[in-house]
Amino acid sequence: MKLFKKKGDLYLSDKQPLSISGKILLGLTYIILISWAVVILWPLYQMILSAFNGRQEQYLMLNDQFTFSLKHFEYLFNNTLFFKWAKNTIFISVATAILTLIIVSFTGYAYSRYRFKGKKASLMAIMLIQAIPTFAGITAYFTMYSVISSINPAFTRQVMLILIYAGGGIANNTFILKGYIDSISTELDDAAKIDGCSNLQVYRLIIMPVARPMLALIGLWSFIGPFMDYLLPKVLLTSPETYTLAAGLFTLINDVRNLNQPAFAAGGLLTAIPIVILFVVLQKQLVSGLSKGSVKG
Amino acid sequence: MVSYNKFLYDEIGNEYERKNLYIKEIVRIKEKIKEADLETGQKLKLELKELIKNKNTHPYNMKLKKFRNEEKIFLKSLRKKKKNFINTLDKSLSYKVKRLEIQLFIAKEKVKFYKAYVEVTYDAELEYKKNKLLKEELPRIIENMVEGKSIIKQAITDRKNIDLNNEKKVKGELREFKREQKEILEEKIGKLKDNRKKGLISKKAETNEIKALKKKYKELINLKSYDSPLKTNKELMESKSHEIKESTKLGMKILNSNIADLRRKIPVELENNRAKLAYFTLPIPGLGQILNGQYGKSFIFLIVSLFIYLIGIPYALGFGNYQGEGIRGLVTLAEGARRVDKSLIFMIEGILAVFFVIISLFLLYFSFRDVLKVERNTLKGIRPYNWFETKSTLREGGFPYISNLPALVVIIFVILVPISTTILLSFTGMDPQHQSKFSWIGIENYKMLFLGEGLAGSVFWLTLVWTIVWTLLATTLAIVIGFTLSLLVNNERVKGKLFFRTVYLLPWAVPAFITIMFFSIMLSQNGAISQLANNLFGLELSVKNNATQTRIALILLQGWLGSSYIFLLSTGVLQAIPSDLYEAAEMDGATTWQKLRRITIPIVLFQTAPLLVGQYVFNFNNFSIIYLFNGGGPFEPSKYGNLAGSSDLLISYIYKLTIENQYQGIGAAITIFVAIAVMFVSFLGYRNSKAFKEERL
Repeated sequence: MKLFKKKGDLYLSDKQPLSISGKILLGLTYIILISWAVVILWPLYQMILSAFNGRQEQYLMLNDQFTFSLKHFEYLFNNTLFFKWAKNTIFISVATAILTLIIVSFTGYAYSRYRFKGKKASLMAIMLIQAIPTFAGITAYFTMYSVISSINPAFTRQVMLILIYAGGGIANNTFILKGYIDSISTELDDAAKIDGCSNLQVYRLIIMPVARPMLALIGLWSFIGPFMDYLLPKVLLTSPETYTLAAGLFTLINDVRNLNQPAFAAGGLLTAIPIVILFVVLQKQLVSGLSKGSVKG
Repeated sequence: MVSYNKFLYDEIGNEYERKNLYIKEIVRIKEKIKEADLETGQKLKLELKELIKNKNTHPYNMKLKKFRNEEKIFLKSLRKKKKNFINTLDKSLSYKVKRLEIQLFIAKEKVKFYKAYVEVTYDAELEYKKNKLLKEELPRIIENMVEGKSIIKQAITDRKNIDLNNEKKVKGELREFKREQKEILEEKIGKLKDNRKKGLISKKAETNEIKALKKKYKELINLKSYDSPLKTNKELMESKSHEIKESTKLGMKILNSNIADLRRKIPVELENNRAKLAYFTLPIPGLGQILNGQYGKSFIFLIVSLFIYLIGIPYALGFGNYQGEGIRGLVTLAEGARRVDKSLIFMIEGILAVFFVIISLFLLYFSFRDVLKVERNTLKGIRPYNWFETKSTLREGGFPYISNLPALVVIIFVILVPISTTILLSFTGMDPQHQSKFSWIGIENYKMLFLGEGLAGSVFWLTLVWTIVWTLLATTLAIVIGFTLSLLVNNERVKGKLFFRTVYLLPWAVPAFITIMFFSIMLSQNGAISQLANNLFGLELSVKNNATQTRIALILLQGWLGSSYIFLLSTGVLQAIPSDLYEAAEMDGATTWQKLRRITIPIVLFQTAPLLVGQYVFNFNNFSIIYLFNGGGPFEPSKYGNLAGSSDLLISYIYKLTIENQYQGIGAAITIFVAIAVMFVSFLGYRNSKAFKEERL
């Protein structure tokens, strides 16, 4: 291998210099990567463009001239229940995340650290049952809701939704958390127990701080779930007042009475931005959480 | 004929000599009978019979009876003595101390009494040793309490004597001190900042130093503030009372566990030898526990009894139902009931009732087993746990059960009951004409589906085929794209990794419903993409109205959406593959392709398999993309009837059947079909996953 190139520059790399075919391949790689990036970015760019384009009316058109304007946002804020939808979504998301975390903390810890009768069988059973889409129980949800709410009016459709989301995630999240806690050495627990910690104290003082990244991830997933879901809100929530963002924004492109596609783009943009930021910032944790879940699960 | 063990046993199987001489003799004779020949055997049997006949006059039994009688008298007199003792107690003592003093007094008396009977029975021995222990340990606890209380009292009197003027002075001093220290702190911080400006220390060092300084400052102030007698006094009282509380708690805990230890070491001896209690008390959980002398435990089980007899069984019989008739409602389905009564509510309440009954039966069995176990153990010689021991076993062994309870409740109500309802619904004829009242129709719905008959059945197979094609193509496309991209980006020569990773994350990060709806807009007749295709390639796309085009667009769109997740997943795995694997392969002369095929792909596939299976399952039920993109359309009534469109998956077909057209019965049948298929596939996925194979512990 030549250490010096003709020009006399020092070749400073522990990789072999590229052959011509290698260079072509690298070039091809770049072309593929960049074109896929374009495929991803172009539609998103279109969405942003149309959200700010004052020339758009009701329907989205391409090749329109672009005039910067915030009128679609104004429409969104003034003529739709956008803020209410956002508030509903956040309420449902936060409640789901908290409920899930509380339940899963217990189950994940118990399934990881204790031996008890029916442990494996019950875990498998729940996993299988949860593979069935939540949607399967929809007819019953409807009726159950109407029965419970007539007995206790505080039981709103949104509460029902929260319960369904939280219940639907128990098995998977238990599984993931169990896998993570499994990787924490039991010596820590033993030491704490010798020092007189009770089971709950071991969890609170030892396991929880160590498992915090995974708990955060589970909380994040449960939080994002209601943002992404369209089906259940659409079915269970009936009045526009109670809609989540997904169900609400869909009325902007589906309902002839208040059809306004650019306003939908604006709303979509506003919804997407916080979540995208969350994803980008937490990219590393998400990836490691994913692969950890996969190695274990 | 009764039979006894020769010895008594404790939990770990240690043997104890019997103290009941009568039983001991029976056992001895029986053993002899076994060994003896016929003639002496006959004689011994007679002897045994005689022994049993004269049971009441047996010297040991008489001794025992005497002991029992005297014990009764003693306990009676003890009660009187206790009253007298209470009157002699110092009135100024606190309630807790008084209680302990009384306990101590009783223990002393009991030690005196039981000492004489230690040899007679194990019960007396236990009482003797237990009270001896109490006699030894309680004084220390009481002393500790009294001492602590007196210190607090002293502190209270001291408090009155604190000179308030002095207090003001101290406060002033403190303020002065605070100012001084603050100046010093600020000076030091200023110095640090200077150093930072000069570049002598790093930013991190600066912030850390400042933090440390501030902490030190706070500590100094805090320390100084104790110059104030008032504050010191208050602090003293607080810490002392906390100390008393904790040390008493600890002392009692140690005492209790020592007593528990005694209970484990001193066996119990009974004359009867058959467990009957469990069977008699089976119907009422809690009763058996009371008779076993486990009052704390019995309280819990009595609550269980209340649940069974006030909630579980009445509900199953139809009382307290919202509309239904408990389990009977499952059979009648509100047939012949009032007009407002709905079959569905009857069904759900019936299912709930069944769950209640199952739970009740389980609880009954659980209580029965508990009583039986305790009873059998008692016969063997093991004493029943007292409340202290029960509590600690509950805390240990019961913990996983208790901590799973909330999850179980949620799962029963949110998953099991609704799914059971769906299963039952699939055997009924609930359709638009039969909304409020419907009846059982057996497997008609399934027949219709599998034979492809009727309104809904004819479309079933068409939809199923498309669902499978869609699942395989869309998921595989996403996997191929995502995996290829992650391989390319992971190439060590590619620069701008962060940029690519961030961009490739976007389809996953932007909520899918937004992108799907937006693509739907862009692919409509005048949409952006349609026009772009027209301008660039001269293609006349009419995606929304052409079945094939809709399907292709859907698959491509899912490739776009799903690749992101796969990309991140395999990136995570790729980064974790140790590089020495590749180096070793290179040494052996492997080509790039071989490395990819033999190392990379197997590792990634193996590690992500369950999640990939999950992706297939997800797409099988991917309702959003179908419904939001084109509403399942385009619709071809000649081929699909009015209920489904050409791009409908089973799941969206179910949605249309159940929600939009109210064919709940047949919709439920398809749901069950889907559920079974999905469960089977997931089972294959999970079965091979590591978490199930490598069970630790």
